[in-house]
Amino acid sequence: MEKLSFVGKSLPRKDAEIKATGKALYSADLDFPGMLHAAAVRNPRPRIKINGVSDAAAKKIAGYRALVTYKDLRGPNKWPLVDTDYPFLPEGEARFEGETVALVVADSHRAARAAAAAVEIKYKELPFETDPLKSLEKGAVKLYGQDNVFSKFFIKKGDARKALAEAAYTVEGEFTTNYQVHAYLETQGAIAVPQPDGGLVVYTTTQCPFYVLDAVAAACGLPYNKVKIIQTVTGGGFGGKEDVPALVASHAALCALKTGRPVRLIYDRTEDFRSMSKRHPSWSRVTYGADKNGRITSCVVKYVLDAGAYSTLSPIVLWRGTVHAAGPYEIDNVLIETYAAATNKVPAGAFRGFGQPQISFAQESLIDELAAKAGRDPMDFRLHNLLDPGDITATGQELTSSCGLRELVEAVREKSGWDKWAENGFRRVEGNKARGLGVSAAYYGVGLGAKGRYLDRAGALVNIYKDASVTVNVGNTEMGQGALTVLAQIAAETLNAPYGSVRVEEVDSTKVPDSGPTVASRTTLMSGNAIIEAAKPIRDNLFKTALDMLKAKGADIAGMMEASEGVFSIADHKVTFGEVVKECWNRRLKMCEEGWYAAPRTTYDMKDGQGDAYVTYSYSADVAEVEVDLETGVLRVVKLWGAFDVGKIINPRLAEGQAQGGMLQGMSWAVYENLVYRNGIMANPNFTDYVIATTADKPEYDITFIEKDYEDGPYKAKGMGEVPLIGVAAAVANAVKAASGARVTSVPLLPEKIWKGLEERKAAGGKK
Amino acid sequence: MRPELLVRPASLADLWKALPALPRDRRYLAGGTDLMIAAGHGHAGDCWVDISGLKELKSFRETSSSIFIGSGLTIAELAEKPAVKKWLPALALCAPHYASPSLRNMATIGGNAANGSPCADGVCALLSEKAEIVLGLKGAKRKMPLHSFFLAPKRTALKKDELILGFEVPKWRHVSAYEKLGPRSYFGISKVTVCVSAEISGGLVKEAVIACASVAPVPLLARKAAEFLYGRRLDEGTVSEAAALAESEASPITDTRSEAGYRKAMVRVLASRALSKLAA
Repeated sequence: MEKLSFVGKSLPRKDAEIKATGKALYSADLDFPGMLHAAAVRNPRPRIKINGVSDAAAKKIAGYRALVTYKDLRGPNKWPLVDTDYPFLPEGEARFEGETVALVVADSHRAARAAAAAVEIKYKELPFETDPLKSLEKGAVKLYGQDNVFSKFFIKKGDARKALAEAAYTVEGEFTTNYQVHAYLETQGAIAVPQPDGGLVVYTTTQCPFYVLDAVAAACGLPYNKVKIIQTVTGGGFGGKEDVPALVASHAALCALKTGRPVRLIYDRTEDFRSMSKRHPSWSRVTYGADKNGRITSCVVKYVLDAGAYSTLSPIVLWRGTVHAAGPYEIDNVLIETYAAATNKVPAGAFRGFGQPQISFAQESLIDELAAKAGRDPMDFRLHNLLDPGDITATGQELTSSCGLRELVEAVREKSGWDKWAENGFRRVEGNKARGLGVSAAYYGVGLGAKGRYLDRAGALVNIYKDASVTVNVGNTEMGQGALTVLAQIAAETLNAPYGSVRVEEVDSTKVPDSGPTVASRTTLMSGNAIIEAAKPIRDNLFKTALDMLKAKGADIAGMMEASEGVFSIADHKVTFGEVVKECWNRRLKMCEEGWYAAPRTTYDMKDGQGDAYVTYSYSADVAEVEVDLETGVLRVVKLWGAFDVGKIINPRLAEGQAQGGMLQGMSWAVYENLVYRNGIMANPNFTDYVIATTADKPEYDITFIEKDYEDGPYKAKGMGEVPLIGVAAAVANAVKAASGARVTSVPLLPEKIWKGLEERKAAGGKK
Repeated sequence: MRPELLVRPASLADLWKALPALPRDRRYLAGGTDLMIAAGHGHAGDCWVDISGLKELKSFRETSSSIFIGSGLTIAELAEKPAVKKWLPALALCAPHYASPSLRNMATIGGNAANGSPCADGVCALLSEKAEIVLGLKGAKRKMPLHSFFLAPKRTALKKDELILGFEVPKWRHVSAYEKLGPRSYFGISKVTVCVSAEISGGLVKEAVIACASVAPVPLLARKAAEFLYGRRLDEGTVSEAAALAESEASPITDTRSEAGYRKAMVRVLASRALSKLAA
């Protein structure tokens, strides 16, 4: 095993101090001479025909400057994303409540808000649809194409129907999940600053600066080399700053071009709720079959995502859900069909887990039902069926490397005291409260996979100054997850540079090539590998020079040179990184290099859903202990055991934080978060009535990492960010079932639903 | 959005003098915890009259027969007062369930009533303790039972510019129980709350008041259930019957916070729990 100086250590976060002391500058903190303020004019109804937009009343407001509509676009009115159905600004029709129809620009934020309220949209209401299943029916209101389907996928392996007919045990269930709001502390925002040459510099809070570049260049009709995107310190993303910042930034850019002045556009919380991306609501029907030995033989899934008014990222969210829909088991016969349906609601998109948590909740709930039917302990049943190295996934992919799922499940079994609980049927009752234990398992394809393969590359620029300070530029972003820190550790390790001397910068689109989005738990893997690639030639120069210097000092170069903690040594002879860098500069050696990493090829075939879908997978196992009030249905998650195989851990403390955060966010979605639409209007776009978990709701955590080396990863790491969220809902739902006897098939597991389940059991005379 | 104009009178007398010259669409600002939310939705008027500094509204007086609570006292200030702990057990029990520590430091008991919401935590407690509300407009003062102050959701008996001066609560030897169902462990608006205050003597109920929040258009007194308890021992049968009566008196709605059927059923569960606590 290679001895590591910086990788694998809990080094302090690079951005901790500026964030903890309030010195960090977010988009809304930036100011420019002559800056104006923009505000959006939004569609008040679910679907309208726009007959005109009038700023007659807005003109009377002091400080009002300009109205910006689609007529101000300098390129085609198509936001370039996976598809191009979302216009930058609507022309004839607006398709969801809260959609930006126009923008106003004014001297102050206050005047802009007042002017936006004064702008009149002349419209006629059009028929609308808010139910994704009804949207897919024949005769539904036409919202997209011929069938309202933005995207559909299909996986066929073996003969699932036949295997189901022959199965000894079968289970079937329908499940639904609701939205999840990203609830990042910093709302969306951008500032566009016109340049003397007609170009633009855009500052924005984003996960994906290159998506912003694509959109701003397209909307403004500018060549890419006249648009510079600078990512500002980003106050949380979770997927919510993947695609939509590009739209917000394009709007700011159009306002800046029209007025010739810097323009700031910052969303308030309500409009962020109403118009920005969300986790998709879902509906699914899952059927499993098992043979008499308890081996799963068949899985049939129909999975529908409620995509909202425009396709945005739905095709790739749906694809990830599709690939993982059968669960982390080796099953010979699989039939999966999935749809992203158009509705007149806010477009849903990326959210940590990306289409997987919804279907994981469904299939892992049902795996418990199948285990019960087969008369097996749910833990044993999973161990009997789960994916091991060498096994074949639902898409026919052989798991050739780095798969620790079995050890994860065994770890949570032991740590949670599962077998002890088994003696009481995983249920303990005290008064009118019952506790229960539940388990789930999940796997997660790291990176963009076959559907996003063209985007799966990343660049890096590593530059060592004369004073031996190191700057690293990458194309993936820090959004709170720790990228600046982890990537600095990788750079320091590769160069043998002291960690404190390495600075990773927030993304500037002119410094590195398009590195794809910061999503899919891909940053450590992709940017990490690009940094190593860039640093290698520099490393060669450093190491060669160090050896020369040690030789000159009289070291016996037959001995091995050690490079550790920023010092090069042979026996008692030492030179520091700083001394070596100085000598490299004296020798006029190249101390700046670019790196590029492209993900290995995948073989997945969209026609039958067979082939390698992702280059590698991360894994998780969760056990939840819950307490259910048997009279009120009130649910409390007492403790979560999580075990994760994400390859080598670069920074244990950050990994622990990612795991806790992911588990809490997963629990919050599973238990509390309930965004409500009434007749196409969002009813609770605020933190008063959209309830998320607080620290008081935080369960006790017990987190285990089992590091299965991934040979192609930077220092053998895989991906971390999303895995801890995915399996939580199912583990909680299974624990609720154990505690209360009620199988709740709908996320969030609100007390109202659990109580209803308890009442139904009472009415049926059911006793656990 | 913030208002166009914010005025801060130094005293009540100054306030009454200043009012006629102010824009018509004006609101009082006390703790601001409801007004700021309303402002975010653009429903908070052009002018705010900041009464948070008025000493007259911060008074707390104890007489031989009653306690007077100034409307400007915050929930956190009230929770600290020994007289509240001694004479107003329901209010004391409610405090830890009232929003969050930061909001309790800002929110005033007067504002809790003035907002006119059927879910108000503090109001529910005071209602069960037989509080009267004292209103003032220029020189004129009037007093009414707290329950008659609430007319409909977000509508109260307050006239234009009238202020809540405070609450007068009689001293009576009662015990209380406060049961709130919120959306999470703490810091949430109630789905259902039941607060019971009762004087029990020789094991028999001499008097009981059952107040419920979030289950009717206004803060609700479950009178039938309370009357039923008179002269009875709080045994299992009595508790269960009274709880059922309370449920029958509730008329909740379905909204983004909960469902009508669930809320109605929970009135019974929470009433039963509260009464059982008093019996213990």
